[in-house]
Amino acid sequence: MGSRFAFFFLFSSIAILSTPALSDLIISKLDRRIDLTSHIVRVASTLKVENAGTAVVSEVLLTIPNYQAKNLAFLLASSYEGKGKTKGPTISLPVEVVHPKGMPLDLTTYSISLSKGLEKGESLTLDVFAAFSHSLQPFPEEITQADIQLVLFQDSAFYLSPYQVTAQSLSVRLPSARVESYTKLQNTKLVESEIKYGPYENLPPFSYNSIVVHFENNRPFAVAHELVREIEISHWGSVQINEHYNLIHGGARNKGGFSRIEYQGRPNIRGASSFRRLVARLPPRAHSVYYRDEIGNISTSNLWGDSRQTELEIEPRFPMFGGWKTSFTIGYGLPLQDFLFESEGKRFLNISFGCPIDEVVVDNLFVKVVLPEGSREISVSVPFSTEQWQEIKHSHLDIVGRPVVVLQKTKVVPEHNLHFQVYYKFNNLALLQEPLMLIFGFFIFFVACIVYMHTDMSISKSSASYLAKLQWDEVQATVQQVLSIINRCLTVHDKLEASLHDLSRNGDVQACKAVRKAADALFKEYGKELKPLLGFLQSSPQAAHVWPKVDELVAKEKEMQERSMLKHSSVVECYEKKSGGRDIENRVASHQAKLTALRHEVDDLLEVVDEI
Amino acid sequence: MALGPKPISSPVSDAWYPALAFLLIASGLAVTSLFFIYEATSSRRNRSLSKELTTGAVASVFLGFGSLFLLLSTGVYV
Repeated sequence: MGSRFAFFFLFSSIAILSTPALSDLIISKLDRRIDLTSHIVRVASTLKVENAGTAVVSEVLLTIPNYQAKNLAFLLASSYEGKGKTKGPTISLPVEVVHPKGMPLDLTTYSISLSKGLEKGESLTLDVFAAFSHSLQPFPEEITQADIQLVLFQDSAFYLSPYQVTAQSLSVRLPSARVESYTKLQNTKLVESEIKYGPYENLPPFSYNSIVVHFENNRPFAVAHELVREIEISHWGSVQINEHYNLIHGGARNKGGFSRIEYQGRPNIRGASSFRRLVARLPPRAHSVYYRDEIGNISTSNLWGDSRQTELEIEPRFPMFGGWKTSFTIGYGLPLQDFLFESEGKRFLNISFGCPIDEVVVDNLFVKVVLPEGSREISVSVPFSTEQWQEIKHSHLDIVGRPVVVLQKTKVVPEHNLHFQVYYKFNNLALLQEPLMLIFGFFIFFVACIVYMHTDMSISKSSASYLAKLQWDEVQATVQQVLSIINRCLTVHDKLEASLHDLSRNGDVQACKAVRKAADALFKEYGKELKPLLGFLQSSPQAAHVWPKVDELVAKEKEMQERSMLKHSSVVECYEKKSGGRDIENRVASHQAKLTALRHEVDDLLEVVDEI
Repeated sequence: MALGPKPISSPVSDAWYPALAFLLIASGLAVTSLFFIYEATSSRRNRSLSKELTTGAVASVFLGFGSLFLLLSTGVYV
């Protein structure tokens, strides 16, 4: 602490020595509000800037002492024209760090570029919002479980500016009315939980008057040392987000151990400085939410959802006291159509940047956007500066890996929860890559089966049993061929029957004759085909026990052929003679009976042979 | 963002994934069983390679898409 106060003294002297006005601007009215209700310090200032000189001014300088600037996480300047209800649209202005000559080295200077130059005598209202992390210093630095957490905050009661400030006031909002001490200057008031400094008038440039507020702040000092957000896009309908947290309680360190009994009994008193739950606000329609760490699932979580947002309340495995660390992962899936869009031939992801958990400061944030395999021409648009590079990630069903855009940013506060865009090109046909890979995989399996069935795996190709097996295979194949021919014959029989049936209906004798002729030709052909097969079966010693059955089968079938032909020709004859239906029936009856019996026998034999 | 970006959704509504997975895998397994019945019953000599390959190809198309939708419906977004 001492070194800091010495530094202030040194700094004030430099400020007085340095050259005053850098330009002819004056701040005619300044209102500064410092919000200390959480562990993030938020400073909102409204400046009325007036051009008292003659030249047109296009930039306004802000100065922040280095000890604060190193914790500066977020800075936003915006301006609007008009006043009160006729306020025009707010325009946010670009801010950048500059190093003007003659500026004290203890100050960091930011330049706000105005959208249009400020003419002589004109005035402009600027809103400057700044958020600082790690700016509340716990004092004492170590407390016991039962103690409340007290923190120190330092700033200047006067607005530190390179310009003259005509009128200014400052208000500091505290989380509770319990204030240990605060610097009392003239015009200082403590009203409930708000300390007011000012108004102060006509202060020269670089006026500085240090104030220190020592107050109670038991809000969760949740600091993520590292947060890795992995956003994975699948064009099959999901944006999957996994967030790996490395969380620490950044407040006063716990000393003297932890008593679970005391904590359990009166958690509000015996654990005032700790926090046990965090609330993450996820986008609406988040699904498949999980919360786990390296041990496994953590069951202490709750989820609510409505059409505007999904709220996930998570409890770490233990209450978090000062200096305690925990690490966990939360993950959730989001519907693709809410975040992925197409415009001008390019696709882009539009999603929020920062951490979804309330009031968490992230020291080191990595946002990794995993794009689908085959994405090209990747570009990123982020509303603030980040480190960027690309990686490759291998995941399910990938060949070359998925392109990953990594964005890295230090000191991230909830104000950084702005949307950013990742643009890329993607061909829809590439969607078929995954199913094709799966299909190919299954096909390889089938091909392997086919190859296995077709290859001869036996080692000794000359052994007796192997030769016998080969012969038996041949016999089997021959028998199968015989069976298939017999089956074909049977279908010809059926055709003949059908032709007779047709004849009885339409009396077309010629067509019926044609069918018989064709059937005759087919029977002859099949007979020729059968001859060598039967010859082989007869001569083969392996087929000895099959042969009689096959022989019988063929004989029966032949008989069937003859009978069938006889029946057919006699029926046709009758039709030609125009005999009556009864007459035909009488003549055919004997054939018919025999045919039916034969058909039965053939069918039985077919079954018997088939089973051999 | 000037031309009115239009949202991109998946080619098949994700409500269909479980049903599609079931149907495609069921038919894929049916064709697979046909393939293996053919392999087991036909003798080595009069087995037709083209028939084997076509049955295998049809089965793998069904099983491929079926397993893709199975993965998607279980939450593995490939």
